[in-house]
Amino acid sequence: MKEIYRKRGSVVRWENGTLVRVTESGVAIEEDGVFTCHPERSEGPPALSIAHPAIPLPDGIRIERLIVTHGIAHHEFEDRAWSDETKRFHMSLVKGSIRALIDRAEDVPRIADALQRAEQQERNAPPRLRLSPNVSAALLPALVGLAPPNVELLQAAGGIDGKGNAIVEAGDHWPNWYRPSYRIRPIRMPLNLCLRCDVTGIEPDRPLAVALLAPLDGLTMRVLIDDGRNAYPATVRVTRIDAVASETVWYPYGGGSFGAEMML
Amino acid sequence: MTDIFRIATRDELWLHGRLVESRLSHGEAIHDERGITAADSRDDALVAQCEREIERMRELVPKDARVRIVANASSDGVSTTMTVGIAGLSIVTSPEHVANDVELLRGVAAIEPEGEVIDARGIPIVWRNGSAAVLLHEAIGHAMEHEQAPIELPPWLEVGVALRVRRATFRDVPLLRMSDVIARCGAAAPAARAAVGGGPTLDVLLVAGGMYEPLTQTVTLRIAAADYDSRRLPPFEIRTTRDRIEILGAEGDPIRYPGVVCSREGQELVVGSFAPVMVTRFA
Repeated sequence: MKEIYRKRGSVVRWENGTLVRVTESGVAIEEDGVFTCHPERSEGPPALSIAHPAIPLPDGIRIERLIVTHGIAHHEFEDRAWSDETKRFHMSLVKGSIRALIDRAEDVPRIADALQRAEQQERNAPPRLRLSPNVSAALLPALVGLAPPNVELLQAAGGIDGKGNAIVEAGDHWPNWYRPSYRIRPIRMPLNLCLRCDVTGIEPDRPLAVALLAPLDGLTMRVLIDDGRNAYPATVRVTRIDAVASETVWYPYGGGSFGAEMML
Repeated sequence: MTDIFRIATRDELWLHGRLVESRLSHGEAIHDERGITAADSRDDALVAQCEREIERMRELVPKDARVRIVANASSDGVSTTMTVGIAGLSIVTSPEHVANDVELLRGVAAIEPEGEVIDARGIPIVWRNGSAAVLLHEAIGHAMEHEQAPIELPPWLEVGVALRVRRATFRDVPLLRMSDVIARCGAAAPAARAAVGGGPTLDVLLVAGGMYEPLTQTVTLRIAAADYDSRRLPPFEIRTTRDRIEILGAEGDPIRYPGVVCSREGQELVVGSFAPVMVTRFA
């Protein structure tokens, strides 16, 4: 069987002070187990624009990395055609030897405030704490196959996958395809992950893990914890989940992940 | 001032002698005061160079391995890379060296790990097959990229790190990156046997990867194959800050290490890596 996928698109991004505009189009073919791809037809420069990000920060914090992206893509697979528009934000903020990772512009003020108050010395994680949605979203891909029995890890319905199929709700046997580029062979994996739990009430006075300080290592997270007075780095190993709030926010982790406030 | 960069790349993945993936990529980036404007335009001469090089590498693909071959022709020159994996271990080599390097890889992969990982702190580590270049890449090269102060080296050791502005594709922002790390020892260097003393040594044969954390100046090395006390150790990690690396001795000419693909800001670039047999210890 021969499968042909086409993609053309434009992306504009600010990467650490440099404006980059890219236009590309290409075709990917899978036949008899062999994946091939090549550029197909070039078009003019992208018509997209993006404003230079201006982000006010508290004293004592510096931006280590800032990448803001806006892209439009048109896809074709067999008799299906669809388009999508993506906006991404990635920033790392530094204070001393602590680096906070941020993937949503709206999270910057809250994380920058905690980072400014942060001690440099790592402390033990409190036995009970909350994860903010940006932290829990990063955790969800690591929970595939490992989610505790009191929660249900699901692929949420919505959007189109890498072969032009509707993304459907699923709990296993992941039916949809992830294809972030025409140069990458599509794979089946969960998209738009979310976590359901019968308990949705969150105790607001528990210390809050406000940001990741490093990419996850399995179910172990190095996070910035804010207990309302102090902020400090700590390492948390997720072994149980007590509650997951109903309100969710999407983050670009794995094939997409809906973070929600979570209680451990 | 306007800078124009053109590139073409052909890469293929071969599994046990069978082609499973083949990609062609090409494009142009125009960098001026407004930024970078890039498109996937085609330079036929660069594409033809890639196709010639990939054809040459196909003839050399080992039939019992996972092999990625990459031919790159750009404004910066032509490069050819072969990444060969056998039994979970891998090397990065070139058509000129693939036969010797695969022989080395097969020899290392022929011995199974046994027993537990050991705590490497305080034990003399003998870096063989040029693998000390990976340690120096992380501890000296990346620190230079970040404009951090050099660490003190023994007077008999010279580490040359070539830095230049490089980029992986036409879509990328060029960055100051390493192109080569070459370490040489002088005649006054304590020989490896003298440097280790009488106790057991940890002999590093292949390194799976490394990382440098500029905020804490921490070096992390994932050791793929190492011997200790007459046994092959399971893969393990060495993590230390730069100031805790003690270089005890070195001997011989620089040895080309088959395997440094350096990733920074998502851009993977091959870095030439050469070092003599070197002895270190971490506190």
